[in-house]
Amino acid sequence: MSNVCEDHVFSKVFKTHSKTVFNYIFYKFGNEEKAHDAVQEAFVKLWQNCAKVSPEKAKSYVYTVANNLYLNVIKAEKVRLKHADRHVKDRTNESPEFLMEEKEYKDKLDNALNALPENQRTTFLLNRIDGKKYAEIAEMEGVSVKAIEKRMHLALKSLREHIDGI
Amino acid sequence: MQENYLAKWLSGELSGEELREFENSEEFASYQKLKDVSSKLMAPDFDSEKALMRLKDEHIANAPKVISLNPFKKFLRVAAVIAVLLTGSYFYINTLNEKVSTEFAERSEVVLPDDSEIFLNADSQISYSEKKWDKNRNIDLKGEAFFKVAKGKKFTVSTDHGTVAVLGTQFNVENREGFFEVTCYEGLVSVTHKNEEIKLPAGNSFLVINGKLISTGTPSGTLPSWMNNESSFESIPLKYVFAELERQFNVKVSTENIDTNLLFTGSFNNTDLNMALKSISTPSKTHFTIDGDNVLFYAGNTQQ
Repeated sequence: MSNVCEDHVFSKVFKTHSKTVFNYIFYKFGNEEKAHDAVQEAFVKLWQNCAKVSPEKAKSYVYTVANNLYLNVIKAEKVRLKHADRHVKDRTNESPEFLMEEKEYKDKLDNALNALPENQRTTFLLNRIDGKKYAEIAEMEGVSVKAIEKRMHLALKSLREHIDGI
Repeated sequence: MQENYLAKWLSGELSGEELREFENSEEFASYQKLKDVSSKLMAPDFDSEKALMRLKDEHIANAPKVISLNPFKKFLRVAAVIAVLLTGSYFYINTLNEKVSTEFAERSEVVLPDDSEIFLNADSQISYSEKKWDKNRNIDLKGEAFFKVAKGKKFTVSTDHGTVAVLGTQFNVENREGFFEVTCYEGLVSVTHKNEEIKLPAGNSFLVINGKLISTGTPSGTLPSWMNNESSFESIPLKYVFAELERQFNVKVSTENIDTNLLFTGSFNNTDLNMALKSISTPSKTHFTIDGDNVLFYAGNTQQ
């Protein structure tokens, strides 16, 4: 049976989940440094307890550790996300108005995201950026899939209202 | 529209009918744009290789992990044993009693932690616990000693013949083989002998010889005579007198044709052996000869 204590198993678990742990903490608190630290802390804990945590449980273990790390400890900061301009290359003839509008929209989206409650923002971004299914997010957050759908629904609603200025 | 339909739409779980209805709603365009733009969002860069390197360098390399743990564990085991031994012996040594003893022809004076004083006569020994002295003023005594006890909590002298308990006073205890004498010079002394408690006021003696309680006269002076370099006896069997002589002068006494159970009243000087021998031989009508450290007492003219 594979064991998390084995270096190659541990490294594999790390490479598979560290990015999500990082993003997860970043979406919550908007602090990159803390997110890097959370990855370190969570996986050190996993390493120390490698004999007790099976590879299947390792994923939810690191999310739980990371999540508990800053619980009520640090103040959330503004989440600053990058916007991939994938279409720039294939649509080179965009008008300045269009680009201006795009820029404006992105600013609005950023503000709207920061205005969301932490759990809605985290759920929304885990889905949109990391492509996590609702069931996966539910497991990370330790709530039901239905609760995640509710958060997602409310997140979309608030974002649209905020962006459209309703 | 079902509950949380926006979430369902995003995850592609709306039924065909619901989807058509939603697509025809006026807010659909906004949501579609939100869906498109948000899919292009990106989190800050995260290099998992680098993070893993950092983790291994900073935490795991120095962490006490399986392989590296073993020699450390062995070391810990040894360290633990040493620590236990050290603390054990520390406590053992701490519980050891202070001991003061005198040889033949030797005297000693001990000042206790509470300024009580003990004067040890020859061939005597006391022991007590200095650490616990504040809680338990107890002295184990073999031989003879004079006590000047500072006022305070109960002070006990334990001997194999019985215990002497006082609060603060001056008294002498002589605890020799077959011989137990307590003399109180000041205050009140409580003597427990064979489970019997006897109160001994100042100026009284308690004497047991070979298990027999002997009534004694009033001691003279405020100090036992030996404190003034004199050993005095009142109706004491000669053998105890000879024993005291041996202790005071570090000599070996032997007798010939003498009933050592005869009672002796008198005293001898503890500094001059010749004078002491005369002090004993004259009233007991015996003779003596000295040969080095050996003293022979003999009766009448029987000495050849």
